[in-house]
Amino acid sequence: MKTRSFFNKDGTKSVLSTLISILIGLIAGALIILIVGLVDDKLGLKEAWKGIRLIFFGLFSKGQQAGRLVFGFNSTNIGDMLFRAVPIIMTGLSVSLAYKTGLFNIGASGQYLAGTTAALFIALKMNTAVVAPWIVWILAFFGGMLAGAFWGAIPGMLKAFLNINEVLACIMTNWLAANIVTWVFEGSGLQCTEGTKTQVIWKTSHNGVATAKMGLDKLFPESQQVDGGIIVVILIAILIYILLTKTTLGFELKACGANRHSARYAGIKDKRSIVLSMAIAGALAGAGAALYYLSGSTEFHWQTYLSLPGEGFTGIAVALLGACNPIANIFTGMFLSTLDVAGSKLSFFTEYNEYITDVIIAVIVYLSAFSLLIKTWLTKKFKKSDDGFRKIPDVAYTSKSGQGDKLPNAAAAGKEGNA
Amino acid sequence: MEQASAGAYPYVIEMLHITKEFPGIKANDDITLQLKRGEIHALLGENGAGKSTLMSVLFGLYQPEQGEIRKDGKVVRIKDPNDATALNIGMVHQHFKLIEVFSVLDNIILGAEDTKLGFLQKKEARKKVKALSEKYGLRIDMDAKVEDITVGMQQRVEILKMLYRDNDILIFDEPTAVLTPQEIEELMQIMRNLKAEGKSILFISHKLNEIMEVSDRVTVLRKGRCVGTVDTSSTTKEKLSEMMVGRPVQLVVEKGEAHPSDVVLKIEGLSVPSKIHKNDAVRNVSLEVRKGEIVCIAGIDGNGQTEFVHALTGLEKASAGRITLCGKDITHASIRKRSLTGMSHIPEDRHKHGMVLDFTLEQNLVLQRYFEPQFQNHGFIKFNAVREYADKLIERFDVRSGQGPVTKARSMSGGNQQKAIVARELDRNMPLVVAVQPTRGLDVGAIEYIHSQLVAQRDEGKAVLLVSLELEEVMNLSDRILVMYEGEIVGELDPKKTTTQELGLYMAGAKRQDKEAKAE
Repeated sequence: MKTRSFFNKDGTKSVLSTLISILIGLIAGALIILIVGLVDDKLGLKEAWKGIRLIFFGLFSKGQQAGRLVFGFNSTNIGDMLFRAVPIIMTGLSVSLAYKTGLFNIGASGQYLAGTTAALFIALKMNTAVVAPWIVWILAFFGGMLAGAFWGAIPGMLKAFLNINEVLACIMTNWLAANIVTWVFEGSGLQCTEGTKTQVIWKTSHNGVATAKMGLDKLFPESQQVDGGIIVVILIAILIYILLTKTTLGFELKACGANRHSARYAGIKDKRSIVLSMAIAGALAGAGAALYYLSGSTEFHWQTYLSLPGEGFTGIAVALLGACNPIANIFTGMFLSTLDVAGSKLSFFTEYNEYITDVIIAVIVYLSAFSLLIKTWLTKKFKKSDDGFRKIPDVAYTSKSGQGDKLPNAAAAGKEGNA
Repeated sequence: MEQASAGAYPYVIEMLHITKEFPGIKANDDITLQLKRGEIHALLGENGAGKSTLMSVLFGLYQPEQGEIRKDGKVVRIKDPNDATALNIGMVHQHFKLIEVFSVLDNIILGAEDTKLGFLQKKEARKKVKALSEKYGLRIDMDAKVEDITVGMQQRVEILKMLYRDNDILIFDEPTAVLTPQEIEELMQIMRNLKAEGKSILFISHKLNEIMEVSDRVTVLRKGRCVGTVDTSSTTKEKLSEMMVGRPVQLVVEKGEAHPSDVVLKIEGLSVPSKIHKNDAVRNVSLEVRKGEIVCIAGIDGNGQTEFVHALTGLEKASAGRITLCGKDITHASIRKRSLTGMSHIPEDRHKHGMVLDFTLEQNLVLQRYFEPQFQNHGFIKFNAVREYADKLIERFDVRSGQGPVTKARSMSGGNQQKAIVARELDRNMPLVVAVQPTRGLDVGAIEYIHSQLVAQRDEGKAVLLVSLELEEVMNLSDRILVMYEGEIVGELDPKKTTTQELGLYMAGAKRQDKEAKAE
């Protein structure tokens, strides 16, 4: 009985349905590897087996010895994984916050680019001989955040004042950002001129600006990339969680998202709330970009950014997979960057293409959209074995009758039962 | 029961021992309903009593766990609405299912068109509809577009739709909710005509007057159970309402003399533009509401009441005029400012404005006050205070829900949603209460409760501005009646001196007082 009530908890079911999505996604990936392995002459069954193990345990890969894979704790991999999780957790938070307040932020890519531009510009253009590098870092971080907020507020305003769908506006601001970036860096004097590199912006460490390691380099000594960014991200995720669940501001934003009309009726400024939601979402994406590029060890290839950065869209996957819960996003972001690491191991140790991990992510995202279905299925499964318990999600309850007025009055029956 | 030949068998539809369960509740518990051939059978019950569920079972939308349905004594299985149609069961829904831009005739034949080689054969159809409309006294204009005809005529179109399909079991789901008194009178006559032609009618309602007037027998449901079936001629309104609610109900609001004093709300020359047409929806409306009186704005739906209230509460902008509340000019104030200056608002549309349906009950109960220091500290919500407050309101206003304060508002019954809104608004203790159709769709028990609350507010010295489409409510509750017709106040009436008929004439625009007479 006790385990049953645990499984009947809404949160448990959400987590379980996500885990099931992930598992099915990984199995689908494994199957693809197997099929490709059997079809391609270069690969074969042995290589496929290697690939499958790397997909599942790539994070713990310690390389090869005499053609056999060795697994174990690998501080390089884990450190890299944490670093790569930074931007996508942030864009994930961006999408989640918008979603929780009734908006679909497909513009995280553009906001991310806006953040990138502002952060790099400030970090590279300010004279670190005059201003201390840590102050420059802070200015660049907040600059990126503000630029993202501004870029997010544009579709927010279009939605609030002109009732233009935020998805359309976001797509347009994405491409605007992509082109503005090119325009900003063209002839800015910030292009890296080392060696044969072209169209690359200096790393911020070139100007002495880099995110503090915060002791993580001691924890994962072999990782070049890991820094305090991940700690900042976790703190921000917790802040967003608190904002959404504990504060009056979160109450207003959510009320506005759930029903703009009744929020307005209750005196909440609906237009302000919509703009604010999008601005905060944009700030999160912008901050993600700032944290990624201010690490000091990442290069920005601006010419290629005539296309949009993938982080914005991966953010949607992070958010959906974590049911738009800010805390869950930390884990789903790390999971996706784990797959990223696994993908690079896959291409390193086998003949496979690392993009197979993208297929897996795609499958998982599709499935996470079905997570409600999986949840209902879980509900049924646990209901069957316990007749005393009956609970069907609200959706199933209302969709049939459609009219709120006509719902059976559960309480009335309950009261009579007591009497 | 013995199976008899179809002609002689007295019951055309029988629903025997129907049990339908939803998670956590038996919506129908062993209900038996027998519809005689050629009778008008009323189905009476509070919201959530199981009327709609029972009809959905009959219409094939739900499958019952137990029980059976018989047509002419034969057991039938109704798996979906198509099966119901095949059995000649027709239904007029509360909200009409008509295509606005189609003509009346097209709407009637839609779905049952006669065609020849793929071409519509409207001539035959026109003849048949004409014959039917004459036979039953259903006046319609076959070539008018539905969007141009009155609600009453739309309803007649719905009835003709059923007749055109040769349905002989007709279900009317709360058919009078949208009609004027004159139209209701006409509908009653139509129902009698239908009965005279041998049709059997199931009439869902919670309006006792109509049931007493038109029905032959009444089946009363309460909380999913069948309380009993009685002959209308051998019962009274009081008995029926007691059966329905389970205790004696005060049908007429008990209220003493009004003692109006200071003016709380003063509106001068208010005009509000329409969203639909170019003219103003509200034209030059002036009125006053004083402490200790209930002023009611009566009128047929769509005569500017909604726009008027929206302009008053700040949801829409007025194009001209001045609104003064408690001595402060709030013509251009924000919604929050108005509400804090002293206005409670029980909105017309409880789903669009009144509640955030995806929020919990307790969140909805603090929707107007979450920002008060009582419920927040530096922007952090005090969850304990919210819970305590919600518990208090739920207790005091008897709001019933599945899981108490954490119930999702969406899963609550309409009556309890409304009670929650009333609780939230009245507990704010504001000098002006604007109540728009506060009892729409509610049953007598809930209506009695809300009416007594509004009277209590008046007696506490609040000013109450009531907007209602229900004549009975207007006559019972108000101390002064203002009739709104096409955006104007066309008359001020004293409920003690006027009649329902006279009020109806004002509402239909057939009568109006000139400005001088109104000013007395």
